[in-house]
Amino acid sequence: MKEQVVCKTTDIEPGEMMKSDFGKQNVLVCRTLDGEFYAFRNECTHQGAPLDKGMICGATTEESKPGDYHYCRKGEIIRCPWHGREFDIKNEGRMLANPNKKLPGFKLRIEDDDVIVYK
Amino acid sequence: MSKDQIRLVDTDIHERVQYEDILEYLDEPFKHYIKNCHWVQEKHMPYTQPSVAGVDRADTVVPDGRLPGTDLAFMQEQLLDDLDHEYGVLTSALDPSPSSMHGWYEMATALASAYNDWQINNWLEKDDRLYGSVHINAHDRDGAIKEIERVGSHPKMVQVLLPIDDIMWGDPFYHPIFEACEKHNLMIGMHHNEPPVYYGKWPRYFIEWHTLISTAHMKIVTNMIFNGVFDKFPNLGLMMIEGGYTWIPHLMWKMDQQYRDLRHEVPWLKRKPSQIFKDQIRVTTQPAEELTKHEFESLVEQMGSDEILCFSTDYPHWDYDSPTRALPNMDPDLKRKIFADNAKAFYPKLP
Ligand code: FES
Repeated sequence: MKEQVVCKTTDIEPGEMMKSDFGKQNVLVCRTLDGEFYAFRNECTHQGAPLDKGMICGATTEESKPGDYHYCRKGEIIRCPWHGREFDIKNEGRMLANPNKKLPGFKLRIEDDDVIVYK
Repeated sequence: MSKDQIRLVDTDIHERVQYEDILEYLDEPFKHYIKNCHWVQEKHMPYTQPSVAGVDRADTVVPDGRLPGTDLAFMQEQLLDDLDHEYGVLTSALDPSPSSMHGWYEMATALASAYNDWQINNWLEKDDRLYGSVHINAHDRDGAIKEIERVGSHPKMVQVLLPIDDIMWGDPFYHPIFEACEKHNLMIGMHHNEPPVYYGKWPRYFIEWHTLISTAHMKIVTNMIFNGVFDKFPNLGLMMIEGGYTWIPHLMWKMDQQYRDLRHEVPWLKRKPSQIFKDQIRVTTQPAEELTKHEFESLVEQMGSDEILCFSTDYPHWDYDSPTRALPNMDPDLKRKIFADNAKAFYPKLP
């Protein structure tokens, strides 16, 4: 499988995600609030939960100080449906608590209103 | 199935009742308070369970929208069939939770009986793989004994579930409960019920509380051992549920060292505490700390027994452990013990 249309651009609103297939692989297609698309393997690196059952949200950030929350990055963070680990869509799917770990990603391009994942 | 394949015995599964489902098992006036006065149990935790879907895995909501753990068919599909469970032990009654009521004990006692009947009818008698826990009102010792007498002989009730909360169960006052358990071949299961791990108070953050739940387990194990429960009731076993497992060697070493100095105060102990632990206490693995294979095997060696750990998923809760992913790879014999044989050897009523 070299490339495949995984969905239409109209299938996903900004700030949402959906699962699709790329050959035999389960893909998570995410759309951030700026309208950009991203694709990752739809399986949490921790214990393998299906990420499409989680949520896209924002996160409390590093700028937070003890007792003072700073929350932003809305629509840019995937939270796993099980243990809630957070993955940064715009930073290669890296885990917030441990950026050395990241969700395996797929290359993706848009042609007309097709979202295409390719190798 | 190949002979190397291990069928899981899952020692912590949470079924869930809805208030309206329990009504038919309740007498008046308790039914009235729920039905007409809309009583729901007050909970005390100041935090949200900070996951995607509250206390549950977000993908365990029943397809028709009902709450996780409420539907046997969906639990079969998502858990028991999918992972090919050999047996699962039900451990719930979290909301309402008779054992964690701090007042209105008449209601708590009535709820415990209603819950047990509901559990037997809707779960234990509907799936051969599922075994159950007798729920009691922790604040009514004699009522608890009555309830154990009432449902404890059910062939699929394997343990009495006692809360890890603010009660020190080793106190001789509670020993008649253990006597009733022994009589019915029931073990004790202890599951945390929002225990006050910080000096009787809530810490500021959920992560602090959740990190230290194991300290509540350590306290109750220490209490049960030094109060002589296991010497007095040699057939009794205690399953410590949902506190992780890395605390075990520390507590064994600490208790043994203390015992060598202070034996005179607890002369009824006939074995050293670590031996009592090995003989009569078992520990479920979830929420599993993330250890390498080397760390895990070394930890089991430090316990001095490979018969203590019993795998548990905690389905459908958010901190669920996957049987294929939560623990590191290990030697097949050890794996068979942790995933099946230890629990089977522990519960006399498991085939
Ligand atoms: S499986 Fe995703 S956080 Fe654990």
